[in-house]
Amino acid sequence: MRAWATATLAMLALVTTASSAYANPPDTFGFGSRETAMGGAVAAETRGFAANYYNPAALARSRGLEIGIGYFRADHSLEMNGRDTGVDPVKGLNGGLVAPGRVLGIPFAFGIAVHLPDDRISRVRALRQEQPRWELYDNRNQRLFLAANLAIEPVPWLWIGGGLSFMSSTRGRLDISGGANVFRPDDSKLRHEVDADLTAVRYPQAGVRVALGDRVALAAVYRGEFQLALDLSAHLFGDISGLTTALYDLQTHSINNFLPQQVVLGGSWAVTNRLRTTFDATWIDWSAYEAPVAKLDAVLDIPPPPSGWPSTVTPPTTPAPTRTSPLVMHDRIVPRMGLEWHAIGERRAKGFVRAGYEIAKSPIAPQTGVTNYVDRDRHSISFGLGGAFQDVLPELPGTLTIDGHLQWSHLITETTLKASAADYVGDYTAGGSILAVGVTAGFAFDKGQR
Amino acid sequence: VVGLLLVASCATTGAEGEGDKNLPTAGVGPFRKLDSEEVKGIAPFVLDDPQALYREPAVLRDGASTLLYAVARVSGKDVIVRTRALDERTFYGASGHFGRKPQVVLEPDAPWEGALSGPSVFRFRGELFLYYSGAFGIGVARSSDGLSFRKEPGPVLGRDPAPNSWESGPPRAPGVFEQPDGTLHMFYGAGSAIGEAESRDGITWTRATTGPALVAAPPPAPGSLLPNEKPPFDTAAVGDPCVVTRTTPAGRFHVRVLYTGTDTAGATAIGFAARYGTSGPLTRQPVPVYSVNQKEAAPALLELGDNAFLYVQQERRADDERFPGIAAAFAPANVTLPPAGDYPDSP
Repeated sequence: MRAWATATLAMLALVTTASSAYANPPDTFGFGSRETAMGGAVAAETRGFAANYYNPAALARSRGLEIGIGYFRADHSLEMNGRDTGVDPVKGLNGGLVAPGRVLGIPFAFGIAVHLPDDRISRVRALRQEQPRWELYDNRNQRLFLAANLAIEPVPWLWIGGGLSFMSSTRGRLDISGGANVFRPDDSKLRHEVDADLTAVRYPQAGVRVALGDRVALAAVYRGEFQLALDLSAHLFGDISGLTTALYDLQTHSINNFLPQQVVLGGSWAVTNRLRTTFDATWIDWSAYEAPVAKLDAVLDIPPPPSGWPSTVTPPTTPAPTRTSPLVMHDRIVPRMGLEWHAIGERRAKGFVRAGYEIAKSPIAPQTGVTNYVDRDRHSISFGLGGAFQDVLPELPGTLTIDGHLQWSHLITETTLKASAADYVGDYTAGGSILAVGVTAGFAFDKGQR
Repeated sequence: VVGLLLVASCATTGAEGEGDKNLPTAGVGPFRKLDSEEVKGIAPFVLDDPQALYREPAVLRDGASTLLYAVARVSGKDVIVRTRALDERTFYGASGHFGRKPQVVLEPDAPWEGALSGPSVFRFRGELFLYYSGAFGIGVARSSDGLSFRKEPGPVLGRDPAPNSWESGPPRAPGVFEQPDGTLHMFYGAGSAIGEAESRDGITWTRATTGPALVAAPPPAPGSLLPNEKPPFDTAAVGDPCVVTRTTPAGRFHVRVLYTGTDTAGATAIGFAARYGTSGPLTRQPVPVYSVNQKEAAPALLELGDNAFLYVQQERRADDERFPGIAAAFAPANVTLPPAGDYPDSP
């Protein structure tokens, strides 16, 4: 009882203490090869470590320790005016584990999952609002995904789970003081101090799965909102060759990787013993999106020397704060469909063929003004093969799974017409495709119960 | 397999991010001035001389060469000279090219001309048309080699005779371009605004509209500016139009005009105004494309694919001496040019 209560309290504490997440790499490219191959329409059908993302409740479906690891890579061919814009690939390890158990006869499970990118744990970018960028693909998927969840199965037809995902925001401060000798730079004496802080950001996810008999299951999942802030400040003060002093205070604030909250409703139907079809609909609160534009506040004070400024010197002036234009985005419902066909084999070796489809209408309003947050409607088709092998080695009883997937997304080419002829960027066409491939290997110490 | 994947995904440092290649642009900046490694002389100047006082550039691409026409003071007269560069920056007869001078191609010799100014070059029907300003209007001279020109005897666009005309002075500083239907249009400065004229042969011009195509910006409404935000840079006057056209990826005819904007304090900056289509007023871009607070004026634009060079008249400040020279700037601003090349062997 005490263990059960502790686990419940721990889960509740994790959820309730979370600060106020959407555009993880899993949001865009899926998580785990089986689930990605099925178009991500797996809220009611996921299991294993991938359930940490798709539906934490499904963790409790595991009957033995499960571990999984895989690698995936998504390459963008996103073009503007017919030319590739060089959006970085998203690639890295996907992995996790599920540790199930029983407390007072009630099955529960703890799960942890991670997407560990090759190139960077996280990236923040604060571009000028006028600069064209693929808003949903350029930077937002360049980050770590780490989630920890708990789940229970209180009755044989109900699974409930939830937990947290983690990231960190950045705060930094730079202080420079001293004296600068413009006539003899080597005699300048400047002191500098850097104070940077990566503060934790947590955001919740929770899910429920209900089995309606042996063939049908329904699910609901909630994922919370998340925003990664970048706050930088700089303070420069010093003497300039005894002629005058200079003070420069700079503060910038920007939001990177804003992930809107989302709600998923899903269903799974085993049409036959060998064919299963799935469907998900995801509501995404895009209208709450905050544009990743740095808000700048600066103070510059350089009093003129007693003799006045030399004629060849133009004293700098304080830069004006950024006048930002709002980014209008619309809430969207993203439908997904999946199929899994048990194509060959029985008991000790099984082979599966999977396929999926997703359509994601762009949430970004037409960019006719000064901003250029580029996005297009996206159609994704996916395909995958998988195998499950029982007791491959006598010393290692359990189920070995090997799955692979291929996902191709097409972003429909459309033209953006600028309202002002004097726009620095002007009219442009944009569109392209994304090709993602991956493989996942897993092992379940489940004595063949999977 | 997993081990290999792990090794494959390891790296000591991540790759540098991209995502900003081949971005769309209207091709008119913003520009950055060239720095000292990019020019042979004193950056950003590409043609300067305290006696010749080079100013009011006009440029034209000619094969691998960049032809630059400019006003110069020669023997006490304001004339038009021509020089050439093979790298868009190292011009024949620049200050470091000892013993060489740009070639004089046009001198004032008609009573209506006075001093020559505001050149603009345009290739039309196999000839080079060199438009220029005189004291009483705009003239044109034609050439087949870009060096020897034949002048039309009188101004091709004189002062507007219409009563109540908005033009408070004679037209000057022309910028000529060709419309999709083959007719020629010209933007010109007059008083504190920019007007538009049209022609079928480049010789006979008539005013296209009764009003100006671009006027000085209105002053900002009280309280509309953010702290430290500057008012528009062109509240007093607009002039010196330089015109380049293109068809946008959406198929729209795009007339782009760079101009000199002057504020009420007399400070200048280079602005950008444009329109879609073959007629109508110009829309102004509120942010200047080039502003260095050195009396920059009279822009000339050279487009080279994704890159563009901007040439302007700019004040050269050396010790206590100040004089105008021709400076160059470049866009995109985040691209660094290779070191300056050699001087060409002829103007």
